[in-house]
Amino acid sequence: MIHFVILMSRQGKVRLAKWYSTYNMKERARVVKEITPMILARPLKLCNFLDWKNIKLVYKRYASLYFVCGVDAGDNELITLEIIHEFVEVLDRYFQNVCELDLIFNFHKAYYILDELLVAGELQEPSKKAIHKHIHDQDELVEKAKNGTAEDGQAK
Amino acid sequence: MQSKLEKVVAGLKTGPRFLKELREFDNLVKAIGECKSKAEEDRVISQELELLKQRLSDPKLDKSRGKEYMIRLMYCEILGHDASFAYIKALQFASDPNIHTKKAAYLALTQFLDYNDNLVLLLVNTLLLDMKSDNYLIVCTALVAATRLIGADLVNAVYPVAVERLRHPKEHVRKKAIMALHWFGQLDPRRDGPLAGVELDKHFRTMLCDKDPSVMSASLCALHDCIKVDPRPYKNLIPSFTSILKQVSEHRLPKSYDYHRFPAPFIQIKLLKILAALGAGDRAASENMAAVLHQALRRASTSHTIGSAIIYECVRTITTIYPNPQLLAAAAESIATFLRSPSHNLRYVGIDALAGITALNPAAAAEHQVAVLDCLEDPDDTLKLKTLELLYKMTKANNIQVIVDKMMGFLSSCTDEHIRKDIVRKVCDLAERYAPSPAWFVTTISEVFRLGGEHVDEADAHRLVHLIAEQDASLHASAVEAYLELLDGESAVASATEAATATASGTMTRLPRKKLPETILLVICWVLGEFGHLARRPAQAVLARLVGILNVHKAASDRLRGCLLTALAKLAAHTGGATGPVGQALIQPHDGGAGSAAGGAAGQDAADLVHKCLNSQSLELQQRAHELQALLRSTPPVLAAAMPVDASCEEFNPQDLAAVAALPFLEGHVARALAGGAAPYLPPEARGGRTGDGGSKGLRFAAYEPAPYAIPLAAASTSYAATGTYDSRSSSMTGASGPGLAAGASAAAAGVPSASSITEPQLMVKSAGGRKWGPAQYETDYGASASSSQAAPLAAAMVPPPPAAAAAPRSVGAHHSRTGSSASLTGQTASERERLAASLFGGSGSGTTTAVRPTAAAPLPAGQRQLNGNAIATATRPASSYAVPTANPMDLLLDLDVPPPQQQQQQQQRPAGAAAIASGNEASQPAGNWMDSMMAAPAGPMLPAAPLGGISQVGGSAPLGGSFLGPGVPNGPSGGMMYGIQASRPPPQQQPGGMGIAMPAPMGGMMSSLQQPHFVQASGLGGEMGMGMAGGPAGYGAAAPPVQPQAWQQQQLAAGMASGMAAPIWPQQQQQQQRQQQQQQQQQAGRFADPFEDLLS
Repeated sequence: MIHFVILMSRQGKVRLAKWYSTYNMKERARVVKEITPMILARPLKLCNFLDWKNIKLVYKRYASLYFVCGVDAGDNELITLEIIHEFVEVLDRYFQNVCELDLIFNFHKAYYILDELLVAGELQEPSKKAIHKHIHDQDELVEKAKNGTAEDGQAK
Repeated sequence: MQSKLEKVVAGLKTGPRFLKELREFDNLVKAIGECKSKAEEDRVISQELELLKQRLSDPKLDKSRGKEYMIRLMYCEILGHDASFAYIKALQFASDPNIHTKKAAYLALTQFLDYNDNLVLLLVNTLLLDMKSDNYLIVCTALVAATRLIGADLVNAVYPVAVERLRHPKEHVRKKAIMALHWFGQLDPRRDGPLAGVELDKHFRTMLCDKDPSVMSASLCALHDCIKVDPRPYKNLIPSFTSILKQVSEHRLPKSYDYHRFPAPFIQIKLLKILAALGAGDRAASENMAAVLHQALRRASTSHTIGSAIIYECVRTITTIYPNPQLLAAAAESIATFLRSPSHNLRYVGIDALAGITALNPAAAAEHQVAVLDCLEDPDDTLKLKTLELLYKMTKANNIQVIVDKMMGFLSSCTDEHIRKDIVRKVCDLAERYAPSPAWFVTTISEVFRLGGEHVDEADAHRLVHLIAEQDASLHASAVEAYLELLDGESAVASATEAATATASGTMTRLPRKKLPETILLVICWVLGEFGHLARRPAQAVLARLVGILNVHKAASDRLRGCLLTALAKLAAHTGGATGPVGQALIQPHDGGAGSAAGGAAGQDAADLVHKCLNSQSLELQQRAHELQALLRSTPPVLAAAMPVDASCEEFNPQDLAAVAALPFLEGHVARALAGGAAPYLPPEARGGRTGDGGSKGLRFAAYEPAPYAIPLAAASTSYAATGTYDSRSSSMTGASGPGLAAGASAAAAGVPSASSITEPQLMVKSAGGRKWGPAQYETDYGASASSSQAAPLAAAMVPPPPAAAAAPRSVGAHHSRTGSSASLTGQTASERERLAASLFGGSGSGTTTAVRPTAAAPLPAGQRQLNGNAIATATRPASSYAVPTANPMDLLLDLDVPPPQQQQQQQQRPAGAAAIASGNEASQPAGNWMDSMMAAPAGPMLPAAPLGGISQVGGSAPLGGSFLGPGVPNGPSGGMMYGIQASRPPPQQQPGGMGIAMPAPMGGMMSSLQQPHFVQASGLGGEMGMGMAGGPAGYGAAAPPVQPQAWQQQQLAAGMASGMAAPIWPQQQQQQQRQQQQQQQQQAGRFADPFEDLLS
C-alpha cells in the first residue's frame, strides 16, 4: 500500500502531503526532512526508485514539482509511477494545464482529487472519467450552496 | 517565481472562479512567496496563526468563512507549524450544514488527526449523521474521513452504518463504503479483536459482483488484504478472479477504464497480485490460473510504462505461484526486454524480476550476465543495490569472492545507515555460508568490521574469534599482523587528528576515518593476548599497541578494559612471564609517573593501567588486575598452567570438570570446620521452611544475570555450551561434534588450567564443539582443526585452478580465482568483463550457456581435510583445506547417469554427510532438507557423480590425499579418503575404491549421542574429467588418533545405520572386515600411509 504522498517543489518546499499510515507530527517532519535531500539530489537520468528505511520511495518530477510516494518494499514500482501519472493527468484536466501555483492556491482541491483517487493507501478509482464527474458534481453543489439556493442541496 | 506571482495577481484581477473566494489566503500565500528566508517565513506564519487564533475564539465568528479558515490552518501546518489550537474548531465546523465548510473541515481533520487521537471521539456522532445524510457527496466525504479517523475502539460504532451504505444507489457511495470497510478490516486483520464474528469478507464477496467496475475494483483491494492474511478461505474465488482478469485483458470493460489504451491496468495488476497470493505453493490453483496469466502476459506490451508494469506483475505472479515451466520460460523471455532497455526504471524491475526467476531456475541469470554487469557498474545506487541483491541470491561457493568484493566496494562508498546495515548482514551471512577458506573468512570479516563495524552483530564477532582460535599458527600470526596494522592505522589517525587541529594536514585519505567499534576491539584484544607472541615485532611493541587502544578510546567501557587486562596478562605469560619485558612492565610498582626502565613509555602506560584497575570502582576490573599481578608473581609452572600457550581450543575433559566441580581440595578444610562444630552444608532446597518461606516472599535465589564482561569469549562459549550449536537449523551438530583431537588436549593436559576467571575464555572456546557455522547450505568442516603447532598450509594448494574449459554456467566449485575480482576492479575492457562474468556466473563471458554440462558439478560441499597428523603427543595439525563445490541439486540429478557399479560398496562407504543424514534425519544437509530425502535412498548411485571435476583436480594434484567430507559432515576430525576414478563413467573394475574411516575424537561422553557421529566416515570421489585435467589415481587415506573405543563404536554404528543396516550394534566381525578391507585398499592405493593406522586395528 501507499504510506504517503508528498508533493514538493524543487526547493524542497512541501506543497501537499497526504499520510495514509500513521505518522505523528514529529515523524512527518522527519520523513520530509530526510527524503527531501535524497530526492532532490538525484540526477534526472537515474531510476525513479529509492530505498529508504523499510519503504520504497517512488518519485517523479513534473516541471518544478516532485511527486513522491512511499510504498511497501514489495509493491510494484511501475504501477506506483502510473498512479502518480494518473493523478497528474486528472489535476491537469481539472486545472486546465496545471502549474505549481494552481496547487499552491488550491491545494484543498488537489486534496479532494487525491481523495477520489486514493483511499486508505490504495487506488480506489481506476477511471479518470468517474473522478472528473464526481469532482464536477461537488463543484456544482458548492456553487449552489454559495449562491444560497441549496444550503443542504441535493446534487442530481 | 516572481513572474509566476505576477501571473497570479493578473489572474486575481480577471478572476477565475476558484481564486475569488480566498482573498486573505491569497495574500498569505503571496507573503510567503516573497519571503527571502526561513526566519521571515516563520514570522509571517506566526502572525497568521495569532490572527487565526483571535478570529476563531471570537464569539461573533463569521461561520461562512469557516472554509477559508480551515484552509489557512492547513497551509500553516503544511509549512510545519503547530495549529493544534484550532482542532476543536475544525470539529465544530465539521457539523456545519454548509457543505463546503463541512468538506474543508473534514479535510482539515484528516490532515490534523489520526485514529489514535482522542479528539476523534467528539467527531463520531457527526460522522454517523453524515454517513446517513441524503446528500451522497456528504456521505462520501464522511466515509473517506472514516478511513483516517476511525480506530479499532470505534469500529463497532461505525461499522453497521458503513455496511448499510453498501446498498446505496450511487456507485460512488458503494465504492467508498467498501474502502471504509477495507480500512476497518485492516484494523483487525485476524478478526479476533473488535471485529470478531463480523462477516466482512461476505460483503466483499458480494461487492465483487457489483455491476460497476469501480466498485468491483475497490472490493479487490479489500479482498487482497484478506487473502494476504490467510488465502485458504478464498481459494474458491479463483475462478471468479481468473474470469475477471480474462475479461479485463480482453478489453471487455468500458473505454473509460482504459489507461493509455491498456485495458484497466490497475485492475489487472490488483488481480495478478491476488492470484499470486492464492497460487503460492498450491499446485492445483496455480494450474487453473496458468492460461489466463499467459494471456495477460501476451497481451501486454512494453510500448508504455503501464504495459511494462503489467508484464512485471505477471512475472512476479509467475515466480510466486507453483512453478510452471512454460510460464517461466515466457516470463524469462519478457524480462529480456526490460534488461536491455535504456530506461533505468525498466532495468530496475528487470533485475528484480530476474532475481525471482533465478530463484527457480538458476540458469536464467546466465543469459543476462552482461546486462547484470552493466547494472552493477551503473552510477545509480538504487540499481546497484538491487543488483547486489540479485547477486546475493545467486551466490554460490564459486562466485562468493567476487560478489563479496562487490558488496564491500559498495559498503565503503555507501553512507546510508539502513543500507549499510543490510549489506553488512548479507556479507556476514554469505561469508558464513560459503567461505572458501578460514583465512578468507578472517580477512573478510575483519574488513567488514573496519568498514561497517557498528552494524556487526556480536554473534559474528564470536564466530570470528572461534574460527581464529581453531586455525593454525600461520593464520594466527597473520591475524595478529592484520590487527596490529589496524591498530597502527587507528592510532595514526588519532595522532593525525590531534595534529590536524593545528596543522590541518590532509594526508589521511586512506586511513579509516572513524574509531574502531568496540566489538572489533574486543576481538583484537583477545587475538593479541592469545597470539601476540607470534607477532613479528617485539612484545613491547605489541604491548604499546594494546595500551594505545586506551589513548584513542578514552571512554572505553569496563568490559573492554577487562579484556585488555586479560590480554596483557596472557601476553606477559607467553613472553617470558614476570621476567619478560611485558611482565616486568606490568608488575613494576607504580611510581607515580616517573618513567621506568622496563618497557619505556608503553610499559609505564601499562603499569598505570594496571594500577588504575587495581583501584577501580569496578570489582571486575579490580579482580582481574589483582589476579594478573598474582599470577605474574607466581612461579613459571603455575603461570604456564594458568595461561597455556594457544590452548583456547582444548577440550574440557568432562571427568576433570566434574572432579573440579566437586571441589575435592576443600575437603580437608570442611572436615576441620565440621570437627570444630560448624553446621554441615545444606543445599537451599533441603533447608526446609525457613528459607523456603523467604523464597516465596520474593527473595531471589536464582543467580542473577552474569556480568557481561566475559564476552566475547565466555559468552560465546556459554552459548555454545548451552545450545551446542549456533544454528538451530543445523541440528545434527548439536554438541556432538567433538572436534578436538586428542593431541590438542593432551598437549595442554599438563595444565588443565585452574579455572581462574582470567583464563576462563581460553578454556571454553573449544568446548563449544565443532564448528558448524552458517545456515544449512554449506558446511565446510572446520571443526576438527585442533590446536597445535604443526602447520601444514596446504590450503592454497588444494584450491583447484579454474578449469579452462568450464564454460558451463554452474561449473566447478572453488574455481574462482582472484583474477576475477581484479578484473572487476578495472572492469572496463570487454575481456575483463567476460572474466568477471565468468567468475560471477561460472560461465564464459560470451554467454555460451549451452555449454558443456558441468560434469564438474560437485553437489556436495567437500570440506576436505587432510590429516597430516603425527604423534598424538606432539599434537596433530590437520591441514584444513577446502574445496567448495557448487551445491546444485539439478546438476546432481542430471549427473546421475554415472553408472553406479559400486553401489553396494558405496552404501557402506557413504560419505559422512550421508551417514549423518541416514542415521539421524537431523543432518542439516547443505543443500537443504528437501534434498535429504531425495538423496537418502539413491545416495549410492549419486556419489560417483558427486565430487567429480573440481575435486578431481585435487585428486591429481594433492599427493597427500585428502578426505572429502560429504555434506553436512559433522565436525569430526576426520581422516579421509579419496577415490580417484579415471573417467566420468568408469567401469567398475577400474575404480579403485577405498574408504576411509575418520577417527574418533577425544570428546567422549559429554555430548555424544547416537545420531551424532562425531566421527565420520568420509569418502569422496575424485575423478578425472574429459577436459584434460590431471586425473588422479586413487588416493586415499585414513587417519585416526583413536582415543575412545566407545566412541569408535558409535562411529561404526553411525556408519552402519548409514548403510542401511538395521542392526543397532555393529558386529565385531564386520568391523574387523571393514578395517581389513580398508587397509588393503590403502595398500593398494599406497598413497597415504598413516602412522596411526595400526592403532585402529
